[in-house]
Amino acid sequence: MISIHNIAKRYRTDEVETTALNGLSLEVKPGEFVAIMGPSGCGKSTLLNILGLLDEADGGQFLLDGIDVSRYNENRRAELRMEKIGFVFQNFNLIDELTVYENVELPLLYNGIKAGERKKRVEYVLDKVQIMHRRNHYPTQLSGGQQQRVAVARAVINQPAIILADEPTGNLDSQNGNEVMQLLTELNESGTTIVMVTHSEHDARFSHRIVRMLDGQTVAESVLV
Amino acid sequence: MFRNYIKIALRGLVKHRAYSFINILGLATGMAVTLLIGLWVYHEASYDRFLPDYEQVYQIKRHYTIEGETHTIEAIALPLVEIMENDIPGIAHVALSDWGNAHSLMVGETKLSSQGYFVGEDFLQILKYPLLRGEPATVLNDPNSIVLTEQTATALFGDADPMGQAVKLDNSQELTVSGILRDVPGNSTMQFSYLLPFSLLENISPYVREARNEWLVNSFMLYLGLAPGVDQEQITPLIENILAEKSPDLKPYDPRLSLQPAADWHLYGRYENGRPAGGYIEYVRLFGIIGLLVLIIACINFMNLATARSEKRAKEVGVRKAIGSKRKHLIVQFLSESLLLTTVSFALGILLVYLVLEPFNQLVGSEIRIPFDQPLFWLLMVAYLLLTALLAGSRPAFYLSSFNAVRVLKGGMQKQRSAVWGRKALVLIQFSCSIALIISTLIIYQQIRHVQDRPTGYLRDRLMMSEMSEDLNRNYEAIKADLLGSGLVEQVAKASGSASEINFFTIISNWPGRNPDRAHLEIGAVRASETYFKTMGMEIIAGRDFKSNLEADSHSVILNEAAIRQLQLDDPIGQTINWNRNQNVTIVGVVKDAILLSPFTPVHPTLFAPSFNHESSILYRLSPNVSPREAIPQLAEIFDRYNPAFPYEYQFADEAYARKFQLELLVGKLAGLFAGLAIFVSCLGLFGLAAFMAEQRRKEIGIRKVLGATLMQIWLLLSREFLLLVLISCVLATPLALYFLQDWLLQYDYRISISPLTFVLAGLLALIITVITISFQAIRAGTARPVDSLRSE
Repeated sequence: MISIHNIAKRYRTDEVETTALNGLSLEVKPGEFVAIMGPSGCGKSTLLNILGLLDEADGGQFLLDGIDVSRYNENRRAELRMEKIGFVFQNFNLIDELTVYENVELPLLYNGIKAGERKKRVEYVLDKVQIMHRRNHYPTQLSGGQQQRVAVARAVINQPAIILADEPTGNLDSQNGNEVMQLLTELNESGTTIVMVTHSEHDARFSHRIVRMLDGQTVAESVLV
Repeated sequence: MFRNYIKIALRGLVKHRAYSFINILGLATGMAVTLLIGLWVYHEASYDRFLPDYEQVYQIKRHYTIEGETHTIEAIALPLVEIMENDIPGIAHVALSDWGNAHSLMVGETKLSSQGYFVGEDFLQILKYPLLRGEPATVLNDPNSIVLTEQTATALFGDADPMGQAVKLDNSQELTVSGILRDVPGNSTMQFSYLLPFSLLENISPYVREARNEWLVNSFMLYLGLAPGVDQEQITPLIENILAEKSPDLKPYDPRLSLQPAADWHLYGRYENGRPAGGYIEYVRLFGIIGLLVLIIACINFMNLATARSEKRAKEVGVRKAIGSKRKHLIVQFLSESLLLTTVSFALGILLVYLVLEPFNQLVGSEIRIPFDQPLFWLLMVAYLLLTALLAGSRPAFYLSSFNAVRVLKGGMQKQRSAVWGRKALVLIQFSCSIALIISTLIIYQQIRHVQDRPTGYLRDRLMMSEMSEDLNRNYEAIKADLLGSGLVEQVAKASGSASEINFFTIISNWPGRNPDRAHLEIGAVRASETYFKTMGMEIIAGRDFKSNLEADSHSVILNEAAIRQLQLDDPIGQTINWNRNQNVTIVGVVKDAILLSPFTPVHPTLFAPSFNHESSILYRLSPNVSPREAIPQLAEIFDRYNPAFPYEYQFADEAYARKFQLELLVGKLAGLFAGLAIFVSCLGLFGLAAFMAEQRRKEIGIRKVLGATLMQIWLLLSREFLLLVLISCVLATPLALYFLQDWLLQYDYRISISPLTFVLAGLLALIITVITISFQAIRAGTARPVDSLRSE
C-alpha cells in the first residue's frame, strides 16, 4: 500500500538547517494499523505529512499503491488526497463556520458527489460515529471527543483506503480518547489502512505494529499481532 | 459547492461583525462615490446626444490671428449664410441663431419673461428638438410665428389648445403659435422656452437687415446640418478659407472657419491657437480619476483587512487542502466571498447615491437621475459589481489560497514578509491619494480666496441691475426720476452691460505714438450714461467724468488704466484716438481698473463712451439705510409702471460677481467632498488594520506590560508604524498634487504661488486624523489587563 525508501526532509530558515527525516524507509501493507512513536522533534509528524501528500520530501522514493507519487504536482496530489487519504488531527481542525453536517459533507462537495448521495453518505457516517443528534451544531458547541468523532467521520466520508491520524487523542480525556481509538479500530477492521502518530503507549497498543523513531530515522519495530 | 461558499461567507460576515461593518461601510462609500461620479460623467457626456442625427449637426467656429495669437469665436457674418446654402455641396440645412435673450411673452393678463432664441427656418431640421405639434420644416417659416415648449405653452394658455393662438412679444409684436416643442432637457447646451423666426428679428431690427451684406459685422451663430454620409473632413476644406477669399479686409487676420460637432459643444468649449484644447472635459476627466481613486482606496481596505485576517483563515485553508480542495477551489471560494461582500456594499452604495442625489444635483447644478429603468444601466452595474469584487478579492484570493497546508495546520503560520510589505505599500497608496486630495482642496480654496480678495475697482454693495426692454429705454428718464424721487435709490445709470459684463469688443486703430508695426489694440467697449461711474462707484484717477450734459461729450471717451498701459500713453488726457471704424475721439478721463469680466484674468483694456442709444442694462444703487427686502416690492411697482410687459427682475452686483466663481467653487466643493470621503475610507481601513495588529500582538503587549511598559510606550509601539507610513505618504503626495495643481493654476492669469506651508498643513491634518484613528485601538490594547492576554496563550 505504502512504500517509502530512503526519504529525506530538511527544513531551512535563514540561519539554521534542521534535518527532520534522514533516509527513512517504511512499508505499510493494505489493512495494516501502524502506530509511529518517538520523542518530540523526531520527525513523526513530518513523516505523516509526507505520507498524506501534504508535504514533499527532498529525496527518496514514495510509492502509493505501487505508483511513484514523489514528483506529483499540487493538483494531482490534491486529487489523490481526496481519493485515497483521510486525515484525523490532534486539534480536530473542523471549520468553525460550518455545522457538523456541513463539515462532514465538504469532501464530498470537492469530490463532485450529487446531493442525494451526499445526504445518504453523511447521515450514514454520522450515525456510525454516533453524532447524528448533533448534526446541526457548530464545532464550538461540541466537546472535544465529539469534535474528534466528527473529524473521523469527515476523514472516512470519501471511503479512503488510508487514514492518517496525528495524535488523535492528544487533546482528549481518557474516556473520549478510548472511544476515538475504538472507532479507528472498527474502521481498520472493515479494511481501512491506518497510520497513527502517537505519544501514548496505551493508544499504540490498539495497532498491529509500532514503529519507533529517533532523529529522523526508524530505530525499532515491534509487532503486536 | 457555490452554495457552500456563500453559506460560509455569510456566516463569516455575521460572526465577524465589526470586520464586516468596516469593510462594507468602506466599500459602500467607495462604490457610491464612483457610481455618483460615473452618473455625473455620463450626464456631462450625454449633452446634445439626445438630438436625433446629432452626428450630422455642426456649429461654425471662426478663428482669426492678431499679433501671433489665434482667437476662436462662434460669431459669424451674415453673408456666409448664402454661401453655405448655395455653394457648398454636402450641406443639407443651414440655420442662423442669435445668442439667446430674455423676452417677455404676454397672453391677455398672463406675462412671463424667459429665454428664447431667434433661429433660422431650417433650425429644427438641424437640431431636431422633438416637436409635439407642427412640422419641423414649416413651423418657423412665418415671420410672425412662435414655437413654444410644452411648459411655456401651459404657463401661457393653461389647458387650452395653444396652436394658432396669439402671443405678444416684448409688448410690441403679435405672434401666432405655430408649434409646440417637448421641454428642452437639462443636458441640452441651448436652453430655451421658445423659438422665434430669424426673419422676425430682421423685420424688427434694422441693424440685422443692414448686416446682410456686411462681412465685418459678426453678430450671430451658424448651425449646419450635413447631408447623410457627409462628414466634417469633407466639408472643412471647402469652407476653411471662405472669409479670406470673400473679404479682403479680413485677410491680414488670417481668418479661418472650422466645424465643431454637436457632441463636443458642451465638453470641448476651449480653443487654443485655433484648435480645440479641452474645456469642461478636463473636469470630467479629473473627477473620473478621483472617482476611481476612491474606489481603489476602498478596495485596498478589503485587501488589507482580508490578508491581515489571514491567520484566522489559515486553518480553514489548511483543512480544505488536506481534504482534497484544489487551489482553484479556494480561489473561487475567496472570490465568492468578495462578491458577496461587494454585492451587499453595492446595494448600500446605490441606496446612498439615491439618498444624496438631490443634494448632489443642487451642489453641481445638474439633473442627474439613476436610470433604474434602463437595462443597459443594470448591465453596466453588474459589470461594475463583478469588476469591483475582482479588484478587491483577487489579492486575498491568491494570497490565502497559496498557504502551505502543513505549515498552517501545525499552527506555525509565520508572518509573511511579502504580505506585510504589500499591505504597507497599499496603505501608502491610500494615504498618498487622500493627502494629495486634501492638498488640492486647500490650494483650490486658497486660489478662490486669493481672487475673491482682489479689489474689484467698483462698489458691489447695494448695487442692483436690471435688463432694459424697449419700454424701459423709452422711459429711461422718467423711471430714473421716479427711482431717485422715491428715496429708495441714490444713483441711477444705464449702460451697454451690467456691472459684471462687457458686451462689445472693438479695436482702437490709431493713437498718438503708435508703433507702426502694431496693427491695433483690441478693447472692450461700454456705452454709459453720465452717472455711470458714480453709480458703479468707480474712481476717476485722471481728467474728469462725463459731463451731465452728455451731448457736450459726444466725442469724448474715458479709458481704464489697463487701456492706457497698453497704449503706452504718458499723458493721455486730451489725446485723440481712433476707434470703432474711424471715429476720432478725445480722452477726457482715466478710470481706475475695475473687474467687469473674469476675476481670474487681468483687467481687460476698456473704453467707456457716452450713451445716446438704447442700452441693455439699468444700474441703480440702493440708499444706505434702505433694506432690500422692503425696497424690492416698491421698486417692482415703479418698474411695472414703465415696463408693463415684463415682470420685474433684478440682480445684485455682489451676487452676480460671486457667480463668476461658480465653476471654481464647484471644483473646490467636489474636491473637498471627495478628499473627505477618501480620508474617511482610508481611516476606516487603518482602524481595522490597527485592531488586527493590536490583536496579533496581544501576547507581546501582555508580556511588555508585565515587564513594566507604560500606556504611552504601548501606544507608541502600535502607532509608530502607521505614523511613519502616513509621513511617507505626505512626501509621496506632494509631487502628485503638484503635478495636477500646477496645470490647473496655469489656466488662471491671476493666481497664487503654491506655498510649502500648504503641504505641511495637509500633512499635519492627515497625521492628526491618523493618530485619532489608531489611538483608539492602541489605548484599548494598552489598558487591557495583561493577565487576560497571557492566559489565552
